[in-house]
Amino acid sequence: MAAGVAAWLPFARAAAIGWMPVASAPMPPPPRDKRRGQDGLIILNVSGTRFQTWLNTLERYPDTLLGSTERDFFFHEETNEYFFDRDPDIFRHILNFYRTGKLHYPRHECISAYDEELAFFGIIPEIIGDCCYEEYKDRRRENAERIQDDEENDNNKDMVLPDMSFRETMWRAFENPHTSTMALVFYYVTGFFIAVSVMANVVETVPCGSGPNRAKEVSCGERYALAFFCLDTACVMIFTVEYLLRLIAAPSRYKFVKSVMSIIDVVAIMPYYIGLVMTDNEDVSGAFVTLRVFRVFRIFKFSRHSAGLRILGYTLKSCASELGFLLFSLTMAIIIFATVMFYAEKGSTATKFTSIPAAFWYTIVTMTTLGYGDMVPKTIIGKVFGSICSLSGVLVIALPVPVIVSNFSRIYHQSQRAEKRRAQKKTRLARIHAAKSGGANAYLQYKRNGMLAEAEEEASKQAGQALVCKSNPTFETQHHHLLHCLEKTTNHEFVDEQTYETSCMEVSLAKPSMSRSSSMSSSPHGLSSCCTRRNKRKSFNVPNSNMVAGRRGSIQELSTIQIRERPMSNSRSSLNAKFEETVPLNSEEQSYITAAVISMPTPPVTTPEGGDSSSSHNFLQSNIVRVSAL
Amino acid sequence: MEKKLDKVDTSSSSSGRTKGNACLQNSSRRGVTARLKKLFLCSSTKAPSTTTQCNVEDELELSAARHRPEALEQLEAQTRFSRKELQILYRGFKNECPSGVVNEDTFKEIYSQFFPQGDASTYAHFLFDAFDTDHNGSVSFEDFVMGLSILLRGTVQEKLNWAFNLYDINKDGYITKEEMLDIIKSIYDMMGKCTYPTLKEETPRQHVEIFFQKMDKNRDGVVTIDEFIDCCQNDENIMKSMQLFENVI
Repeated sequence: MAAGVAAWLPFARAAAIGWMPVASAPMPPPPRDKRRGQDGLIILNVSGTRFQTWLNTLERYPDTLLGSTERDFFFHEETNEYFFDRDPDIFRHILNFYRTGKLHYPRHECISAYDEELAFFGIIPEIIGDCCYEEYKDRRRENAERIQDDEENDNNKDMVLPDMSFRETMWRAFENPHTSTMALVFYYVTGFFIAVSVMANVVETVPCGSGPNRAKEVSCGERYALAFFCLDTACVMIFTVEYLLRLIAAPSRYKFVKSVMSIIDVVAIMPYYIGLVMTDNEDVSGAFVTLRVFRVFRIFKFSRHSAGLRILGYTLKSCASELGFLLFSLTMAIIIFATVMFYAEKGSTATKFTSIPAAFWYTIVTMTTLGYGDMVPKTIIGKVFGSICSLSGVLVIALPVPVIVSNFSRIYHQSQRAEKRRAQKKTRLARIHAAKSGGANAYLQYKRNGMLAEAEEEASKQAGQALVCKSNPTFETQHHHLLHCLEKTTNHEFVDEQTYETSCMEVSLAKPSMSRSSSMSSSPHGLSSCCTRRNKRKSFNVPNSNMVAGRRGSIQELSTIQIRERPMSNSRSSLNAKFEETVPLNSEEQSYITAAVISMPTPPVTTPEGGDSSSSHNFLQSNIVRVSAL
Repeated sequence: MEKKLDKVDTSSSSSGRTKGNACLQNSSRRGVTARLKKLFLCSSTKAPSTTTQCNVEDELELSAARHRPEALEQLEAQTRFSRKELQILYRGFKNECPSGVVNEDTFKEIYSQFFPQGDASTYAHFLFDAFDTDHNGSVSFEDFVMGLSILLRGTVQEKLNWAFNLYDINKDGYITKEEMLDIIKSIYDMMGKCTYPTLKEETPRQHVEIFFQKMDKNRDGVVTIDEFIDCCQNDENIMKSMQLFENVI
């Protein structure tokens, strides 16, 4: 029942007096009014914009925030109004819902902001009126797709995971050539050979001057048969190798074999092998020559290299019905006009329109406005129908073409948008990442300095790194204290992402290397280094100056071990950089080293750091520390 | 202060029709048809003829049909509602009928919303006739409020009078069995199909018989106003039920 009609309930009840005299049974007692309709004005202050309405208006929907006692939580005694720290523009629509019973969706508002407001005020979006419901649903769906896209891409992110098998790496390299240099090289090489192969096929047929017996012009293919054969062999080798590699690397071989690209691959290389098998048999060589035609399908292999080609193929697939219609209508018209032309031209002498199928050729040429002129009508009636044929041809062809074109355009723009979103996603994720690490870094800085005042300074220094604005210092310090309490509870410490990642790398590489060195002391170290990654050393300022001197020796030890560990570095360039930087850091990060040594009893920890450079170094130091302790 | 009614209302009130003319919403359409009819043939039906009195200015006014009620003070004087109550009533009234008058269709629609299971349109029709005291086919706010004033704040006599007026469909001062049957049937219609015990064909008729047995003292087959009031005043239940809705506003 609409809210407005509820206002007529008193009338309906009053009108019930008309039943009384004819009532068969006594009436039930009336309900007692719990609230004596205090129909006062209620002031809703939403971020400074004052809205006023009758109390009754709000009470119409008692299961929402404003209609129930929940609003008492927002009552502001000093000003005797209800204060909501929300968006006043969207609130306007929510209040209108109470007034009119219809919820509208403003098109210029962001869909998530609107959803949030609805959720806050306890209004379910399903009651949005018909006028705005479609728009709302559309926007919501777009938003959900965008989020889903992001998640999908997240999963496919080029995060190098140490436990990815070789097969998976290979598949990823095939599918996305930008993952590594090898993949890129492979991509370009195959592209080059496809081009070479296609060019060879073409050049093969060009006449190349007269042959040895000077009888006639021979094609280049016959003249330099060996050269072309070698070239063909080379290309087919490459293609075969590529196909086999893809087959091996494919996560689902059956699916891969069924896919279009793999069929194209097979069709591209099969003729060669069939040719190899069948060279001696003269009868079949005719068919073999036909097979060579299939070599031209190699050009379709380019679709792996070109997104535009893929879009075209996809468009044709999606426009199948339009194409079908085009074909059907053309066929109909061709048959009709061919028949007419045949019978029209039947009378004239030496006519080329010998049969209806012969007339098909004329009709097609005329309808597509080609007009070769090899067949022309001679009778007047034939000419009349011929002109009608050409006019209608223009129409029949012009109709479905825009549909196909618009389909292509739509798909192309969609892919453009997806590309743009992907590019933006990178920067967006980077922003989020920086914000997160900025927050983490702030905390790590705070811990390092161990003093609130300094944390503020450091936080402002770190502001360059983090893109998120620092909130007020009180919040920060309380937050840091909270994180610290968590660390104490779990007896683990926070490190930043790079440290974690590098330590993961270390672990994966350290395992085999550790086994190689066959040192018992180091293997538990290797295992525990994963755990130690999480641990952080306490970095409160400990009076350690006096200890520094005593530990110099150990520092030297550490550095030597460090140097020894260098050769075990893997090929990853980032890690290499860290290795190089580790040496000169000793002098600066004395506090770390001393602190590390001091906190021996607790499980060894990786140090907190401010930047990339120190992370692995510190991790190494923890490695090293552990080793030296043992 | 005169009622600021549109010209059409006054002109159509003179025709004395009881059926709602729905002139205000439809007459723009009717005006065109009426004028066409005028062009081609003499219209004999009353309804279009009344509307043919609507000239072009009327049509323009009708599309923006408004009815403003009398001032609050006057209504306060005429009815037994307080100022605040009148305000509340008017706000509710205006919310549902922004034009200020209710025609029969809107009235039926509104009333039906309270009885979703059954068909309240017939009873709403009778109600509409009872509220539309000047029989102009539309219920203005004054009519509405007067009716409510009687029902909610009136004396028992007035209420019974109103009820009698409701039952007396043709307003001739007598309630016949047929009229009563119509009323009872319409009340049962509001119940709908799903009732317990299930509604039988003869239930309304039986109900009418019971009513007449009670009310019709002189057994002349009709109930007059005096018979009605006398009988009701002697009936405990009816008296009690009359006080039921005092505190509705």
